[in-house]
Amino acid sequence: MTEARPSILLVEDEPEIRRFLRATLASEGYRVVESPTGRRGSIDAATHKPDLAIVDLGLPDFDGLEVIRRIREWSTMPILVLSARVHERSKIEALDAGADDYVTKPFAVGELLARIRAGLRHGVRSPNGAMLELEDAAVDLEARKATRGGREVHLTPIEFRLLSALARHAGLVVTQRQLLTEVWGPTHATDTHYLRIYMKQLRDKLEKDPIRPRHLLTETGVGYRLAIAD
Amino acid sequence: MKRRFPGSGYAWAAAAMAACTLAGLAMRPRFDLVNVAMVYVLGVVVVALRNTRGPAIAAAVLALAAFDFLFVPPQGTFTVDDVQYLLTFAILLAIALVVSHLGEDVRRRAQAQAALRVEAETERIRATLLASISHDLRTPLAVMTGASSTLAERGEKLDAAERAALAKSIFEQSREMSDHVSKVLEMTRLETGSIVLERDWASLAEIAGSVLRRLAERLAARRVMLEIPADLPLVRVDAPLVEQALANLMENAARHTPPGTVVRLRVQRAPEELVVSVENFGAELPEADLERIFAKFERGVAESSGGMGLGLAICRAIVRLHGGRAWAERIAGGGIAFRFTLPLEPAPAMPPEPAAVERP
Repeated sequence: MTEARPSILLVEDEPEIRRFLRATLASEGYRVVESPTGRRGSIDAATHKPDLAIVDLGLPDFDGLEVIRRIREWSTMPILVLSARVHERSKIEALDAGADDYVTKPFAVGELLARIRAGLRHGVRSPNGAMLELEDAAVDLEARKATRGGREVHLTPIEFRLLSALARHAGLVVTQRQLLTEVWGPTHATDTHYLRIYMKQLRDKLEKDPIRPRHLLTETGVGYRLAIAD
Repeated sequence: MKRRFPGSGYAWAAAAMAACTLAGLAMRPRFDLVNVAMVYVLGVVVVALRNTRGPAIAAAVLALAAFDFLFVPPQGTFTVDDVQYLLTFAILLAIALVVSHLGEDVRRRAQAQAALRVEAETERIRATLLASISHDLRTPLAVMTGASSTLAERGEKLDAAERAALAKSIFEQSREMSDHVSKVLEMTRLETGSIVLERDWASLAEIAGSVLRRLAERLAARRVMLEIPADLPLVRVDAPLVEQALANLMENAARHTPPGTVVRLRVQRAPEELVVSVENFGAELPEADLERIFAKFERGVAESSGGMGLGLAICRAIVRLHGGRAWAERIAGGGIAFRFTLPLEPAPAMPPEPAAVERP
């Protein structure tokens, strides 16, 4: 890599929000490019080619969704969405349009930084290959072997597929539709009860406390997230 | 006012005139023509009172035509021998116009008054809301203004620990305020009926886990016990809303019980519903208050423990939308239980996964 510091494009119209984000991101060692409008953001994304984009959904000129679509026409760069709307629908729309994750305003910066790290990691092959370390459980996704406390745990083929789908986006949210399509196929895209049942099985096998999972997290109404240590 | 379909006034007019004509034909042998005309006048007045000008005029014209054709000599024609009947016609038309105008006026006034009443009620609700919001937002705002101005103006005179403490209190108060604002918005959304449930199969164990994660910090000083059976059936609900309902109950537990209190989150299966309970073993409330606290802006006791008194009202509104019940009861031996139910539906089929092929 020629440039050591990752660059982040920030498409946000509120100057006060840009101000504290600029300070936070700079203090974490990121280079920041700021765009106050959607139009500028789409252009800046193409000219600066940042490592990650943060896009506010409520922009004055055109919808943040449009910015996401325009970037996705030519780039796979990770995109995080800032959403003031609490409604799950708008989050899902943004994710369907190609965003990788979202943070709901108001947010604490710790949460945003964790998402940024997960976003930057996405697409970069992890050093330990297909190995997932979940506290006392470990899963080798390639060899299809899972152990817990040193003992082998049997996972079914569907359980492996589901876990792999989540692991491909480790740290990022994956929508229900996306998981159902990837694991069961497009004809089952709305069979959400499959997910409830299989996520419970995975938690029972891999989590210390299945009711209070630390890795296989639910984003209620949106999807699931595999949380792994930073 | 009830709205009727557009042609109904004219149908009314035709029906009324047909009735008058039948009455007139029955009267004709024994009564004067003037009295028959009076029957038509009555019919036109009734139609004009209940309808707008159009149907009233239509009734008058129909009345004239029928009266002329059937009763005025020469009968069976629309010709008129005696000029005095032209005056009858003119008067009939005038009556239709005047009465329909009066009727419209009365109706318009009634509508205006009803609108005024609704407006007054809305105004009263708005005033209560504003009073409550301004009270609940003023404290966090005062803390935030004070703490942030201290940091901005004399931050360099404070040591690092003091600066950190001030910043933390700004953070906490702003989160509290943001929480208030979302509750007010949520309540408004629920009350205006603008929420359409997006039902989907959901697991209460998952929803409970999500609530515990969201409130982990606030519940850290309470001892949370879970009693959630492993084989719970799924429910078909709007999961984010049910999560909100449960979160409000858990948040109340954190807010209104002393640290160290045991809070038990329980889900039980009844024949046709799931019963979700949050049991606070450190809270006390008189029997008489158990229902009152579900009303908007009501709090358990005159207290400074924060909260807007919207949490339980929101919880109940969400549960009712789902066809369930929400209530509070005293626990024998001390404590308050908040419970709500969610109806069960037959679970959808899940195709069995073919037995895994043994790995070599």
